[in-house]
Amino acid sequence: MKTTRRTFLKGAAGGLLASRLLGGKLETLTAAPAPAAEAAGEAWVPTTCWIGKQDCGMLARRVNGRLVKLEGNPIHPRNLGTLCPKGMAQIMAVYDPNRLKTPLIRTNEKGVPGQWRQASWDEALSLVAKTLREVRARDPRRLVWQKGRSKASAFYDTAFVKATGATKLHHGAFCSDAGYRACEYTIGLHGVLHPDFRHTRYLLAWGWNLTGAGGNKLCWITWPQQMTAARERGMKIAVIDPRLRGAGPFADRWLPIRPATDLALALALCAEVVRRGAIDRDYLRKHTNAPFLVQPDGYFLRRDGKEQVWDTGSGAPQPYDAPQGQPALEGTFTYEGQILKPAFQVLKEHLAQYSPEWAASICGVPSDHIYWLAQDLIEHAMLGSTVVVDGIPLPYRPVAIMAYHVAQQELGFQLTRALLLLMMLLGSIEAVGGQRIDFTWKLHENFKKLDEIEIKDPPYNIYLKDSKFFPINSNNSALVAKVMQDPAKYGVDTLPEMAIVHMANPVLSFGSKPDIIEGYKKFKFVVVIDAWLSETADLFADVVLPAATLEKYEGPLSATDQYTDAVALRLPPMAPLYQARGEIDIYLDLCEKAELLYGKGGYLDHLNQALKLKGPYALPLDQKPAVRDIFDRWAKSQGLKEGIAYFEKHGVWVKGSIPAKKYYGYAQEPPFGGIRHRLYGESLLRYRDTMRAKGAAEIYWRDYTPLPTWRQPTMEGSPAQYDLYLISYKLIEFKQSRSSFIPLLAELAPEQRLDINPRTARARGIADGDEVWVESHNAVTGETRRVKVRARYTEAIRPDTVGMPHHYGMWVHPWAKGQGPAASELFFTGEGYVANTADQSFHVKVRVYRA
Amino acid sequence: MAVQERLERLPYGLGRFTPAWYALAGVLLALVALGAYAYLRQLIEGLIVTGLRDLGTMRGAAWGLYITFDIYFVGVSFAGITMAALIRLLNLEALKPVSRMAELLTIIALLLAGLVILPDLGQPLRGIVNLFVYARPQSPFFGTFTLVIAGYLFASLVYFYLDGRRDAALCAQVPSRLQGFHRLWAAGYRDTPAERQRHARTSFWLAIAIVPLLVTAHSTLGFVFGLQVGRPGWFSALQAPGFVVMAGVSGIGLLLVVAAILRRVLRLQEELTPAVFAWLGRLLLLLIVIYLYFTAVELLTSLYAGHHHEVALTRALLVGEYSALYWVSMGSLVLALLLLVGQVALRAYSIPLLVLSGLLVNVAAIGKRYLIVVPSQTHGALLPYGVGWYAPTWVEYSIILGLFALGTFLYALFVKVFPIVEVPAVQGGKR
Amino acid sequence: MARYGMVIDLDRCTGCRACVEACKVENNTPRGSFWMHVFRFEEGEFPNTRVWFMPRPCMHCDNPPCAKVCPVGARYKRDDGLVATDWKRCIGCRYCEVACPYGVNCFNWKSPEKNYYLDWQDPELTARTNGAIPPYKNPDLEGRYGPEQRHVAGGGHLKGVMEKCTFCVHRVEKGLSPACVANCPLFALHFGDLDDPDSNVSRLLREKRSFRLLEELDTQPRVHYVGSGHAPGAEARQIEHVKGRI
Ligand SMILES: Nc1nc2c(c(=O)[nH]1)N[C@H]1C(S)=C(S)[C@@H](COP(=O)(O)OP(=O)(O)OC[C@H]3O[C@@H](n4cnc5c(=O)[nH]c(N)nc54)[C@H](O)[C@@H]3O)O[C@H]1N2
Ligand SMILES: Nc1nc2c(c(=O)[nH]1)N[C@H]1C(S)=C(S)[C@@H](COP(=O)(O)OP(=O)(O)OC[C@H]3O[C@@H](n4cnc5c(=O)[nH]c(N)nc54)[C@H](O)[C@@H]3O)O[C@H]1N2
Ligand code: SF4
Ligand code: SF4
Ligand code: SF4
Ligand code: SF4
Ligand code: SF4
Ligand SMILES: [Mo]
Repeated sequence: MKTTRRTFLKGAAGGLLASRLLGGKLETLTAAPAPAAEAAGEAWVPTTCWIGKQDCGMLARRVNGRLVKLEGNPIHPRNLGTLCPKGMAQIMAVYDPNRLKTPLIRTNEKGVPGQWRQASWDEALSLVAKTLREVRARDPRRLVWQKGRSKASAFYDTAFVKATGATKLHHGAFCSDAGYRACEYTIGLHGVLHPDFRHTRYLLAWGWNLTGAGGNKLCWITWPQQMTAARERGMKIAVIDPRLRGAGPFADRWLPIRPATDLALALALCAEVVRRGAIDRDYLRKHTNAPFLVQPDGYFLRRDGKEQVWDTGSGAPQPYDAPQGQPALEGTFTYEGQILKPAFQVLKEHLAQYSPEWAASICGVPSDHIYWLAQDLIEHAMLGSTVVVDGIPLPYRPVAIMAYHVAQQELGFQLTRALLLLMMLLGSIEAVGGQRIDFTWKLHENFKKLDEIEIKDPPYNIYLKDSKFFPINSNNSALVAKVMQDPAKYGVDTLPEMAIVHMANPVLSFGSKPDIIEGYKKFKFVVVIDAWLSETADLFADVVLPAATLEKYEGPLSATDQYTDAVALRLPPMAPLYQARGEIDIYLDLCEKAELLYGKGGYLDHLNQALKLKGPYALPLDQKPAVRDIFDRWAKSQGLKEGIAYFEKHGVWVKGSIPAKKYYGYAQEPPFGGIRHRLYGESLLRYRDTMRAKGAAEIYWRDYTPLPTWRQPTMEGSPAQYDLYLISYKLIEFKQSRSSFIPLLAELAPEQRLDINPRTARARGIADGDEVWVESHNAVTGETRRVKVRARYTEAIRPDTVGMPHHYGMWVHPWAKGQGPAASELFFTGEGYVANTADQSFHVKVRVYRA
Repeated sequence: MAVQERLERLPYGLGRFTPAWYALAGVLLALVALGAYAYLRQLIEGLIVTGLRDLGTMRGAAWGLYITFDIYFVGVSFAGITMAALIRLLNLEALKPVSRMAELLTIIALLLAGLVILPDLGQPLRGIVNLFVYARPQSPFFGTFTLVIAGYLFASLVYFYLDGRRDAALCAQVPSRLQGFHRLWAAGYRDTPAERQRHARTSFWLAIAIVPLLVTAHSTLGFVFGLQVGRPGWFSALQAPGFVVMAGVSGIGLLLVVAAILRRVLRLQEELTPAVFAWLGRLLLLLIVIYLYFTAVELLTSLYAGHHHEVALTRALLVGEYSALYWVSMGSLVLALLLLVGQVALRAYSIPLLVLSGLLVNVAAIGKRYLIVVPSQTHGALLPYGVGWYAPTWVEYSIILGLFALGTFLYALFVKVFPIVEVPAVQGGKR
Repeated sequence: MARYGMVIDLDRCTGCRACVEACKVENNTPRGSFWMHVFRFEEGEFPNTRVWFMPRPCMHCDNPPCAKVCPVGARYKRDDGLVATDWKRCIGCRYCEVACPYGVNCFNWKSPEKNYYLDWQDPELTARTNGAIPPYKNPDLEGRYGPEQRHVAGGGHLKGVMEKCTFCVHRVEKGLSPACVANCPLFALHFGDLDDPDSNVSRLLREKRSFRLLEELDTQPRVHYVGSGHAPGAEARQIEHVKGRI
């Protein structure tokens, strides 16, 4: 277990591989000459970053039991021996004397800053277990388990949720779920959009905050590493973002788009591509529903339950999967008195209204730039070309889009659909160098599920699952908070009583802070599991359980960088500080106390299933295991003879590069597993009709259109004096609301700010550094909210747009005090400010004036 | 052989400590105590208690009031030794009465200059030891420490001592509490012609040696700044001569003030005639003119041909953050100049007006020193760190005030124990 | 003997400041002290704006104004190219600081115990860390380095002593790259022997356009910048400044 730094340097095969990937000429590490006999009591032990979402591999330098430094693990494919500023600085967080030290039990009323008494683990867990039993006995639906990001989902999201029957809430509706749902529904893959960086030659960075945040699935390091390597290979980047700061110097073209108008631009690009005929007919015909015949009512023509295409040979419809025939993509056909059009023809006609000039007026960018963009895309798409990868000839379409959190806008679901449509037209989906969504080709269950939703009548559950309001549903806690305030309005009859909040800080991170606060007051009993006293805990927790930071076991964690298959575990480089404990230990004990641990259907049983522990590896159902032992069994069940010792030595299990046939959808047998990508979203139309039939208001069903359709965002209805758009984004220094109080990081970005174009500021008499009020307006309810913040001039933002980063507004930790307000105070949730999939929008109209 | 002349009692009120003197001393010592307390705080807390901060990302000034006054004190020390040397070399009998006053000013100013370095050092104890153990002549600081503080002070002390021996011998004959001190100083001096001649010769050679030393010393101080390529406003060949001249301006200016005060307090109207003041005034005028010429040359160069950093700095001085201090300093200098020109032109000298000029040029000197030291740090970054900021704290002010008080106290004490003006020749105990 | 230098690829730098943090953690530098700083710049006006980044360690000048002025030889040039500060000899006069044109020097204004951001005296913590302040204190910094065996690796950040980037002498002497270089997530920082034509740094300098900062002062920096960028001129506005506060 005690591996030295030297072993890692010698065994840095991954590092070498990486440098080859990065152009082969970069020596990132100088090989170390044998260090004079390793100082006594010194070791390098593997662990993982605790802050970010991509779980970068780390080596902790430990001197006599004391952690001295965290460095990147050179063999970890995601970070190749490096760490971002948060990864580097978190050693200070580990030792932070302001961490939670013992379990806490509230002694004052809720909704105000908490007063606490310290409790023993036994007392705190007994109290939680007792309440849990009572609540479950009444109705398991009265229990909510809420997470931010889960680092051991088998243990938490699956086994615990199943064993308790809790309703699970997560943060996806604030992250990128609108995009996830659009991709799952359209392409069948779980993810949002990213390129095949090794081969892409032209990238649309569509709201990609590349120097500041992550992008798809990963946290930060991996994508920028692949991006710079790609640029050195000649890849060009066009940036579509109201702000340039995110792209930094890596923008070859910048289209400073007006916020929330992305759908218009995407549609215009689709229209231009279609107008110029630069489309991949072969792909559209074979792998999408583009040739499916659409009836005048908008539904597909079906015979014997099968969608039909127009066979140009026979001049008649035939089943789409008929082995012969030449399905038409274009044209209008009359058959048995019915006018039929292939879905592509419908799209083509639909797009006719969306010219670059039209989009230019909406998006606030010159139409020439849109033409150039279309030209660039068409040029780089290299329609018709193929390339051989791993011996398999595959289509080569080296254009792609990176878009992630930008999906969180009112039209985000349809925007992502439109971006996919653009890539589909160019045939770049899953082609070499083309549009990627997941790391490997893996059809997601939602491809089917989202097509077959049964919209129910009330009563609904608290997040309105299968409801007439949000049939495709991303489980939005801010909406939950709205429902909690007025359940009758949404046809909800059972409200939850108890919430377990795990690794999430909804009060600060989720849109519409005031709504969240009102809603969460309704929970009778709240347990927060966190390493710090989060703001959510401060206001609402009855019991706070102190979690360890990185000094615990968690996993299994994916370690792939999209080209290398790898898996990792979080391992404790030392025993948990204070009385903090790893969450897995906490859940084991809690389940035991709540009489949910043992036997069939118990936590251990569900854990066996979730971790696929069978036969000799299965956990006995009658005894509480040690956490290390669980992972040891898991590792062995995965074929690692050494079991967990392998990870204790290497930190990550790098299995090798992902072969083309596991990677590209085209390389599947049959390609894409035989599914048809949904160019035309017929089921969306069905949902729309059902929603209307069940009496849902137009505001809920209006975006359920089979083809993405532009409309003005709701916020445009705010009065003219709210003349600026507020957008939000992340800073490289911080991760959500879990690091702004780390002094090393806070020192770099000590204060909230309002990015404002000097032109806009001067017109309002605002000097650089002045305090200003930012006041937001809800176009639906007329509500206004305001916060005071310091204005910062930047020429890298549109004059009609202002920006406020996430991360600020914490108040519990001494180092977070006085950092300024949370951006989430200004955003609204609910109708007009969530997408049709219940996803939170981070856009609102504001006015800005001197304070 | 005994000293021929004989004093009946000590001249100039030596040894008589009046209540007013005690009151003054009390106030001064209280200020010294304040300074000492401030320094103690600084020793305990570190230089964090000052307004000084790092350059670069901290956007402060690493040198501030301490260095400002270090240069100021060294500058003031110009007066004494220059006077003495000039008197000796040019045989300027007219100025003789101020010679010892001036020398004392030099010695005390140098003492303060040496002392004010200590609070500027992060590690004062190491400073005292390492500056000798590891001295590096290549550092312009070496010049400051060796030539100025050591060489200059040493030369001045020797000169001062020799120059005072005769008077010490005279005073030693008068029985008083100070007799022992005077005897010690006299060290058997008897005023024989041979002795006198020996003294005159030593003093003459010392004076000869002191002049280049003087130029060098003040120049090295200029070099501390003038050799720094990386700081706009500092890197200039005129820095060294400028320092020499400004030293003269402040030194002569202060001497005017001190002389006037002593003339009043010690009733030296006979010894310190208006002619003496006129002399000093003319000298001061000459130096101011030279200084203003340098300033103009420098200003023109930086505005006309300067790099944009130079220009930015000059703007900060002329119209920016430092303009108030800049124009007060320049205004004082010009006002002093006008006062002096008027008097010279009319050949009518007024001691109050001359003293006023002396005060004005010292205000200017302090202001200009500050403007040399600070703005080049806060506004002179060559990489775009942004504009910096420095404001001294109570600790710095207290320490400087304490040092001024200490100097004044020492001066006040000295004039009570030793004749500050040469004791005139007496016959048989009578004047 | 190797003569070290650093090459910084501006085409790769994302301005993330991970190098800043790597330096801070490796060298345990106190609050407000940035041996490595990364400038973030904006140029031009909307929509013709350019945003770019420039890391700035000590330049380890071959003709170092800082070493020239040091009255006690605490700041000196080593044969391997490093400009070192002997924290056991420095008297804290800050002459090197005002002499350096690059603004890289950091003085210890406070005693270190009071300047590590947080109050680490928590008894439950100190019991576990043997009282180290900060708890992640790097034991290597106290040692003696180089043939002269001097105290040049940063030490304990003694009150009243000057310090700056050491080029991580304690790592370099072990054959490791400096902490900032080893950690840069974009591999924008490179370190090696500039005298060796085959070293990574020499190769980069041959392959790419390069410049050094304030070359006109003839300080002869050993830090080179490569890429399509240029040295910051009058038009570069610093954004998101890091201002040291103590
Ligand atoms: N340092 C850091 N990295 C992180 C995180 C973090 O907190 N800190 N969080 C991680 C997580 S959870 C996520 S989801 C990812 C997110 O990764 P990204 O999606 O890359 O990052 P965000 O900062 O959310 O990006 C928002 C970008 O969209 C732009 N934008 C805003 N409104 C519009 C619009 O209407 N149209 C267009 N075209 N652009 C718009 C903003 O200017 C900004 O550049 O980052 C991950 N990485
Ligand atoms: N204004 C604005 N708001 C945003 C965004 C934005 O760009 N702008 N981005 C949105 C996005 S993309 C997302 S993903 C959400 C994220 O929002 P959340 O998922 O709520 O993320 P955090 O705010 O980081 O909350 C995490 C909490 O978990 C705690 N924690 C961290 N690690 C652990 C652990 O190991 N165990 C336990 N038990 N607790 C832990 C932290 O201390 C913190 O209190 O925020 C969204 N909010
Ligand atoms: S990129 Fe994310 S996971 Fe990696 S070190 Fe940074 S915060 Fe941690
Ligand atoms: S770590 Fe690398 S990419 Fe980040 S700021 Fe430093 S040099 Fe630039
Ligand atoms: S950058 Fe400054 S501190 Fe570093 S060697 Fe050059 S002059 Fe000295
Ligand atoms: S502060 Fe220290 S290193 Fe710098 S010049 Fe003075 S003695 Fe030398
Ligand atoms: S070389 Fe070492 S000391 Fe210098 S900036 Fe990099 S990490 Fe800091
Ligand atoms: Mo997210």
